[in-house]
Amino acid sequence: MDLSLTETQQLLKSGVEDFIARESPREAIVELARTETGYSADTWKKAAEIGWLGMAIPENYGGSGSSLTDLAVVYEALGYGPVPGPYFSSGVLSAHVLLALGDEPQRSEYLPRIASGEAIFALAITEPDWAWGVDGVQMHVHRGGNSYTITGTKLFVYDALTADYLITAVRTGDNPTDIGFLIVDTKAPGVSIRRIEGFFTSECEVTFDNVKVPGDVLLGGSAAALSGFENALRHSTPILCAYKVGGAQAVYDMSVEYSRERVQFGQLIGRFQHVQNHIVQLVNHLDSARWTTYEALWKIDDRKPDQDISVHLAKAVTSEGFIQATNYAHEVHAGVGVMREYGLSLFTQLSRSLYHSLGDPKYHRRKLADLVADYDPSLASDGSNGTGY
Amino acid sequence: MDFEPAYTPDQEAFRKEVRSWLAEHVPVVEGNPDSDENYPKYREFGRQLGGRGWLRPTAPVEYGGGGLTVDNAIVIGEEIDVYDLGLPPYYDTGGTLGGASILVWGTDEQKLRMLPPIFKGEVVTWQLLTGPEAGSDLAGTQTEAVQDGDDYVINGQKIYVGGSHGADYLWTITRTDPKGKRHENLSWFLIPADSLGITINPMELMGDGGEGVGRSYKNTIFFDDVRVPASNLVGGVNNGWKVATTHLELEHGSGGRIGRNRWFDRARQRAMGLKKAGHPILEDSDVRDRLVDVFVSTEIARLFDLRNFWMNRSHIEMTYEGPQASYFRKMAHLATAQSIMELVGPYALTNDTRWDTSGRQLDAFMKSSIVDLHPGATADIQKVIMARRIGIGRQVKEKAGKTVE
Repeated sequence: MDLSLTETQQLLKSGVEDFIARESPREAIVELARTETGYSADTWKKAAEIGWLGMAIPENYGGSGSSLTDLAVVYEALGYGPVPGPYFSSGVLSAHVLLALGDEPQRSEYLPRIASGEAIFALAITEPDWAWGVDGVQMHVHRGGNSYTITGTKLFVYDALTADYLITAVRTGDNPTDIGFLIVDTKAPGVSIRRIEGFFTSECEVTFDNVKVPGDVLLGGSAAALSGFENALRHSTPILCAYKVGGAQAVYDMSVEYSRERVQFGQLIGRFQHVQNHIVQLVNHLDSARWTTYEALWKIDDRKPDQDISVHLAKAVTSEGFIQATNYAHEVHAGVGVMREYGLSLFTQLSRSLYHSLGDPKYHRRKLADLVADYDPSLASDGSNGTGY
Repeated sequence: MDFEPAYTPDQEAFRKEVRSWLAEHVPVVEGNPDSDENYPKYREFGRQLGGRGWLRPTAPVEYGGGGLTVDNAIVIGEEIDVYDLGLPPYYDTGGTLGGASILVWGTDEQKLRMLPPIFKGEVVTWQLLTGPEAGSDLAGTQTEAVQDGDDYVINGQKIYVGGSHGADYLWTITRTDPKGKRHENLSWFLIPADSLGITINPMELMGDGGEGVGRSYKNTIFFDDVRVPASNLVGGVNNGWKVATTHLELEHGSGGRIGRNRWFDRARQRAMGLKKAGHPILEDSDVRDRLVDVFVSTEIARLFDLRNFWMNRSHIEMTYEGPQASYFRKMAHLATAQSIMELVGPYALTNDTRWDTSGRQLDAFMKSSIVDLHPGATADIQKVIMARRIGIGRQVKEKAGKTVE
């Protein structure tokens, strides 16, 4: 048993932290939030040069084929920023989906471009009558001649505005498994993308108006493909969790720091037990998120049983925990916390925005119920009387 | 990262030895393990474990321990856990915490004299911490020890002490300098329980023994001019608070543990097969939500304990992690008790032989989840300690107590 990072991972961690401190300090991130695209293309390029966008991609497609834990080390540091941009959407989620569903020509065409940062991908699943997972996909695809045609709206699509391609979930028939994916060029005629205003980060509305996708390019469409897609989600979700863990760590550090310098009633506010309680609850949420996430990463990297239980647990705990962490941080900070330039509200907004990404806690808790309520300990592969989870 | 202990061929061989020995020696009992009939069987089992050095596996051999590696101690812990037992297999937290304190703070002579009986399971030891005037404010104790020749004379009262079957030794901190500075006026004593002037009266508490599995009685202890040899003062005169930081640190959860998620298993087991208005309750989505609540909070508690186990055994400097695990577990159990009540309804509250199928576990848990909010420092005190260790509102973080020599 060893719950520490390896020496290489420690080096990786400090490398990313140094890079962020230099290239993307919090003041700069506050500024970025006021721009149209919301991220720095310059930082993106440099991150790609270092190789972070290819970590999830095997070497033969131009990546470095890193472990999920390595990847999580990078994303936790990015979340600490919180460095904005389509890093996760393109370099993790889309990379995993293309790996799971793409045929050889598609992988060879797109994955090296994702790894180099030259092409940005995002994943479009959710529709206006929102449901998490592909079960809620209603948008039908029509095959005509040598192309596919789609019409309809995808909503709450993260990073669509900055993406060159959207991996778009479509319905190929009426059976639950009749789900396919089309790679849609965002510059194709009939595609319009609009960033949605509100307490969001990069969520967009994507409208397809008779968009033609040429060639025989539909990914998936079978039960086997759907399980490949689920595998891509299984590998991506803990990385999103790591990003939130980094964010929660940042608001914790800010709150402890503030408790040590802010004076009221003639003493440091950290001397007040109500303030102490806020920070204690905050660190409990932070550590809950951290250790459920780490265990999920380890289970997948080391091919342990019951990976899905850990992934659903981590996502439910992390989504909830990040929101709670920011709430407690606001109680500690009072007025200062809501001043945009202070930076806390970046995390607050992110905790809300990412709450639903890849499924909200309710969704993951229901999945968890299906896995654990009927779990038969005697079937645990390691004969551990139910210690498999 | 690796969340599992890695087992060497040596450990696996050792596991076989432990497993077959346990199969022959773990007492087979019916009913409450803490009953007058069953308790002596566990004590005898404890002596047998002690004889092999398996009662306190990592303690030094010269002091009656097993001198085993942490790796082999983990194996013993896991194998005895299969029987729902710990080490020791009966109530002797006084020996566990007091033994660790003597190991850190005792003189060589004291260690050789005091530790072997504790580590070999020959004696049972109670810790005496809370007094009527000193609950959370342990350092404010008014139990007093005054030197008189080669002895100290102790007067005072302690409450919420021990279990149902008596003890051989008691230990406590007493005020030895009434005018001294707080935390610098206390001394730590190991006291033979049969000393003249000690009166032990059982207390009546919610969740007492007899109602649930393994729940024992607590006692009030009076000291009236009790004479204790000065050689039983451990850690130096007026240095008792330092000694206390060792056992308080361990009591606050910094030792961690590798364990199963038992309360989820128990809750689910009880819910399986139960019907409500003719429908299996596990098909009800509200019930499933409650079950997941139990799963989530008990899994986090398990992970905190696992992390602490790793940090403690790897000698990684800990700060707030011990009291965090303790606080989280206390609150998780309270919430879990509520969830179980919602899950299985009034069946959660009964130990009736006809209607309870949990082996008297659930009804006992409904009470113990409340009672356990207080021992080993209240939930609020755990938060205070966390805050100090995090360093909220202060420039210098409080340091964790020393738990290894």
